[in-house]
Amino acid sequence: MDNAEEDPQKRRLSPLFRRLLKIKVWLVDRFRLSERQITLIWAALVGFLGACASESFRKASSLLHYAATGSDSGIILSFEHLPWWQRLAVPAVGGLLAGLTLWLGSRLFSSVRQKTTTDYMEAIVVGSGNISVRASIVKSLSALFSISTGTSIGREGPLVQLSSLVASLVARMRNFPIPQRRHLVACGAAAGIASAYNAPIAASFFVAEIILGTVVVESLGPIILASVVAAFTSQLLHGAEPLYKSPGFNLHTQWEMIPLSCVGIVLGFVAPAYLRLLRSAERLFSKIDIAVPLKLALGGAIVGLLAIFNPAVCGNGQGLLRSLFHQGWFWDEILAILLLKLIATATAFGSGVVGGVFTPTLFIGAAIGMLYGQAILYIAPGLRSDPAMYGLVGMGAFIAATTGAPLMGILMAFELTLDYALAPFLMVNCVVAYYCSSIFERRFMYGESLERKGAAFFNQQLAEVNIQDLVRVNPITLPKNATFARIAETFVQHRFQHIYITDKENRLLGAVSLHDVKTFLDRPELETVVIAADIMNEDFPRVSPRQGMGEALHKFSEANSERLPVVDDLSSQRLIGSISKTDIILHLAGDQKR
Amino acid sequence: MLVISRKSVEHLRAAIFIRDLKAKSDNEAIRKMLDSLGGYPQVKDLESLATAVFERQETDPPLFPGGIAFPHARTDSVSALVMVFATCKEAIPFGNTRVRLIFLIGVPKHAGAEYLEIISFLAKHVRGERTLDRLMEATDLSSFLAAFAEPNG
Repeated sequence: MDNAEEDPQKRRLSPLFRRLLKIKVWLVDRFRLSERQITLIWAALVGFLGACASESFRKASSLLHYAATGSDSGIILSFEHLPWWQRLAVPAVGGLLAGLTLWLGSRLFSSVRQKTTTDYMEAIVVGSGNISVRASIVKSLSALFSISTGTSIGREGPLVQLSSLVASLVARMRNFPIPQRRHLVACGAAAGIASAYNAPIAASFFVAEIILGTVVVESLGPIILASVVAAFTSQLLHGAEPLYKSPGFNLHTQWEMIPLSCVGIVLGFVAPAYLRLLRSAERLFSKIDIAVPLKLALGGAIVGLLAIFNPAVCGNGQGLLRSLFHQGWFWDEILAILLLKLIATATAFGSGVVGGVFTPTLFIGAAIGMLYGQAILYIAPGLRSDPAMYGLVGMGAFIAATTGAPLMGILMAFELTLDYALAPFLMVNCVVAYYCSSIFERRFMYGESLERKGAAFFNQQLAEVNIQDLVRVNPITLPKNATFARIAETFVQHRFQHIYITDKENRLLGAVSLHDVKTFLDRPELETVVIAADIMNEDFPRVSPRQGMGEALHKFSEANSERLPVVDDLSSQRLIGSISKTDIILHLAGDQKR
Repeated sequence: MLVISRKSVEHLRAAIFIRDLKAKSDNEAIRKMLDSLGGYPQVKDLESLATAVFERQETDPPLFPGGIAFPHARTDSVSALVMVFATCKEAIPFGNTRVRLIFLIGVPKHAGAEYLEIISFLAKHVRGERTLDRLMEATDLSSFLAAFAEPNG
């Protein structure tokens, strides 16, 4: 090339510089970070920030607990040292404050309304990945009051909520598209669980199995990374010990394998009853027509009342679980605390306390497993069974049976106890418990919540769709005296299932259905004798732009048709077009993608 | 030969046959045929049926070449398909057409398929010259229906 034609700027570049530039371009080309790799980096950051958020909540909870009870020891120990009236008053006042927080929050911030404890699930599964900051803070504050004052509810709810909120904020700040935003919120949720239980594997599978409903490497990779980073961060602060370290169990005889493999059957059949108990409590409290603060105060007072007799009922059950595995409990003690814990957890859940039921459920499973172990010891003393071993397996089996997530149940119980010898029994019992539970129960612990949120989201989306925007004008119409020959011809020319019949003023008189006439389309004898008025359905469903999309979909089900005529007004009946089911679905799908 | 359902056969057997109907106009002929349905258990409201039939006549009188009329209506004033057949030795003017054979049909709104089946069956058979003659010669309902069973000509 002639140098005279070159750009004077280029001529100034030295050969070395050009070579370096070439290398840089090559490096950038080869090692360009794809969207997947970028997500991994953000997932790690979310894991760290999620663990920090969880830790902040823990610290705040401890401080508030100290303020309420004057003790910085665990919830059960604190309550043991309180006089009877304070055991009653502390959870009741805590409930009142938690309720007042929710009540004030709902009055001040409209976004708090209609949101429940598991917003992060909604954000991941059906939402845009955006979690309301105000709503999350209000709910976390409410949970803080409940948890610090001894209500029988899990801490994991607000921990996951806060961690997911952090993830959502990061995604919003980076302006990620919706699928990536949702994915990052899923990473946040996993980080919250991992830091709450020091269980990164189970946390990853909790999100994958229960919330995402899939265990695909593409989505699992960043979630695992976030969980591990969160767990490491928590371990730096609290140590690497598993939450409920197993004392180490051994089978005294191989025959013990038989009863140990059957724990899952018992827990699988108990799990549906437990889920129904929670739902019944929710229904019962919904019938009590009092303000939210009073409802939560009532829930707290019931827990307080139980705490007068047995303070161990307070809290999420974490301390109890540790005690179950390491101290010898008599069967009647286990039965008593199990019954009290069931009432306390159902009360807290039913009254609408913000929090989780995961830890209380772990305890209930462990207690039932231990009772089963006690029964085995009584029936077959020669086996020399350790009931705590059954408790540990029962814990995993029960969580698998109530959440409908056996894989997560296995991993969670294993990570919480780190007892490899029991891993095969955990695997068997979690799967068996899940299958037994599935016979009676199809709505598992988190599935129901997601179902409700999914329906609410869908209804909201539907309400936002305007019929007018989807109307296709100039539909195929015929007059009421159109001959059968013309009707047949029209059906042949167009692929519609219905032809609308109108009068001279374009008022809709009815519709002729292809289904009704298709067997007669080849009958020439009908061509002049039958007209549209003879065969049209005058009551064919129709919609007007003033109606909601939900109503339109209801009419679609009535008409069993792909299209519905749209009239300007249901009284004037003037046909303005038609609306198709496919267009609505595509429109909704488009909304999701935006 | 066109095959029809058992239900349609039952409707045909339950029809009313009027031999040698005399009338000066289409409306009079139809009115007389409608009157024959008085007290018929399937007719819930004879006047509504009459209104529906006359309205349908006004929209587009269903006539068939060869002097055949199919006054009919889809109306909920009948609970099941009802039919009246009439032969007319003296042709009755239906507008510009001289009609010798009348099939009056009342169909409930939900029975659209039955209606199309019956109409199709009747219209297809009366196209045959010989069938038409046999129908005109019928003395009662059995001989009238028997004409449909014979081969078209």
